[in-house]
Amino acid sequence: MNDNIMNIRGRAHLLGDGVNTDIHCSSKYLPGRDNAYVAQHAFEQVAPGFASRFKPGDVIVAGRNFGINSSREQTVQVMRLMSAAAVVASSFGRQFFRNAINNGLPVVECDISGIAEGDAIEIDLAAGLVTVVGRGISREVPPLPREVQAILAAGGLIPFLQRHPDWKLA
Amino acid sequence: MGSTIAEKILGAHAGGSPVKAGDVVVASVDFAMVHDARAANALKMMAKLRGGHDDVALPFAARTAFVLDHYSPPPNMEAANTHVAMRAFADAHGAILYDVGDGICHQVLPEGGHLTCGDLVVGTDTHSTTYGAFNALGTGVEGTDVSAVMMTGKLWFRVPETIRVELKGRLAPGVWAKDVTLAMLGRLGAEGANYRVLEYCGGAVAAMEIDDRMTLANHAAELGAKAAILDADERTFAWLKAHGARAPKPVRADADARYVERIDIDASTLPPQVAHNHRIDDVVGVPEVKGRKIGIALIGTCTNGRLDDIRQAVAILKGKRIAKGVRMIVTPASRQVYLAAAREGLIEALTAAGASVEAAGCGTCVSITGHLITGDGEVVISSANRNFKGRLGNPGSEIWIGSAATVAASALTGYITDPRTVEGGEWRPETGTDRNRR
Repeated sequence: MNDNIMNIRGRAHLLGDGVNTDIHCSSKYLPGRDNAYVAQHAFEQVAPGFASRFKPGDVIVAGRNFGINSSREQTVQVMRLMSAAAVVASSFGRQFFRNAINNGLPVVECDISGIAEGDAIEIDLAAGLVTVVGRGISREVPPLPREVQAILAAGGLIPFLQRHPDWKLA
Repeated sequence: MGSTIAEKILGAHAGGSPVKAGDVVVASVDFAMVHDARAANALKMMAKLRGGHDDVALPFAARTAFVLDHYSPPPNMEAANTHVAMRAFADAHGAILYDVGDGICHQVLPEGGHLTCGDLVVGTDTHSTTYGAFNALGTGVEGTDVSAVMMTGKLWFRVPETIRVELKGRLAPGVWAKDVTLAMLGRLGAEGANYRVLEYCGGAVAAMEIDDRMTLANHAAELGAKAAILDADERTFAWLKAHGARAPKPVRADADARYVERIDIDASTLPPQVAHNHRIDDVVGVPEVKGRKIGIALIGTCTNGRLDDIRQAVAILKGKRIAKGVRMIVTPASRQVYLAAAREGLIEALTAAGASVEAAGCGTCVSITGHLITGDGEVVISSANRNFKGRLGNPGSEIWIGSAATVAASALTGYITDPRTVEGGEWRPETGTDRNRR
């Protein structure tokens, strides 16, 4: 993981539009398989070799409606196990977006055109900036709201509430 | 600039200051629901949140329902053990328990009087949008979310954008809220309303009975909506009162509210619709479907297993026999629906017509209980909400999704059939007569 969750640098690994993470990154259809197994085979059907290419601190870059239809928190726990630093996508399925933040995984809604497999990508969450220096890409995104930043900084909703049981931000 | 219903409800629950789409707020929740299919995860997150201290109080437990509906009955030890854990947890912390056979979460919550107009309700199920039929904001969440609510009574929300959908005119007899949603799915696509709220309004909505309004709000989940909300009216208030709900705090959108999109649908010209080809958004009018033989007909689920669905089926099937070679299963959405159907003689009429009536629960919606597995090449017509390949245990079968009227008409003839072409297929509920019987 990055030392500072608000500033992320990693290699981009691409996925397409409409990736259903219940199917491709959970054991919903692999009964009895644990997170470690799922992490080794994540997204295999939609991006062969994805898990073996993916290194700790890398970034998932996906198309529209990433995590569509998904309600499983396990998906994010698997991505944390893969040490994904963040997910950048054109748009997210709503429950996936919630689950990511609740489990301490930064998610950034951003135009992904021009970003290629293996690109070095930088994300400044507080400022709201996605940069791919090698391709001259620098895109502004809405900065994450203060509350969401605080939950991410704490590592997720549970550690956040253990520190702030009244939801009050310092 | 005015506010949408969702902005008003979230604002009122987040301290009272106005909020607008895109804001993130921490809001007080009125009621929460955990069902058995997600309970194992929720209980795990709850234990994590309490940090191993079982004495940490859960003040919101009394306003949380634990519903044993998906695994009814449990198909294996793991599911049975989840039920054991849920019963024990509910007992220890004073949560409200709905046990196997009591019914589907989205039916038992309103029937139990647990929500009212203006409420903010969360549940561990995407179809938690159903509560919008009662002018409440209902939305699906996961285990961490519901754990946070049980401990603090609050949760963070991104205030959603809203699409205003006006259903003009009146639905024709034989055409239901189900057909409206399927038409919307054909138009917007699955997830076409991702992250948005659907505000349904117009004459056709006002004319709907509560059962049909619940279908409209429920099925918005297939459009990816965060919630679907209807205006409240006298029919809503009467229903809520009859079910012991708290005093309603109805919320209406301002005339100058900001919507991301407005959709007008002429309800009066809409024919019955079906979804097929393993996609909920591959939708055609039933009159266009010719000679499609079916093997299994299913009525039930949180989308269409209510009393009016069963009454419609009986209007078509009473005194008749379903077609030879067709297997029909009807699953009432709740024990109350089952009881009402029994009192009206509907269970007897369906059984005599050749259908099997099963105990209330999620039933034949998805094959997780194993009590409905389809064979290779079997064609199913179902009033459920999803038709993904393999949803009924066999990728080699196909599932068509339609209204209870279309399912019953198809069971009668053995082919996918426009209900308006069979006797009783144009049955309508009688407004105002005995509508609130429990």
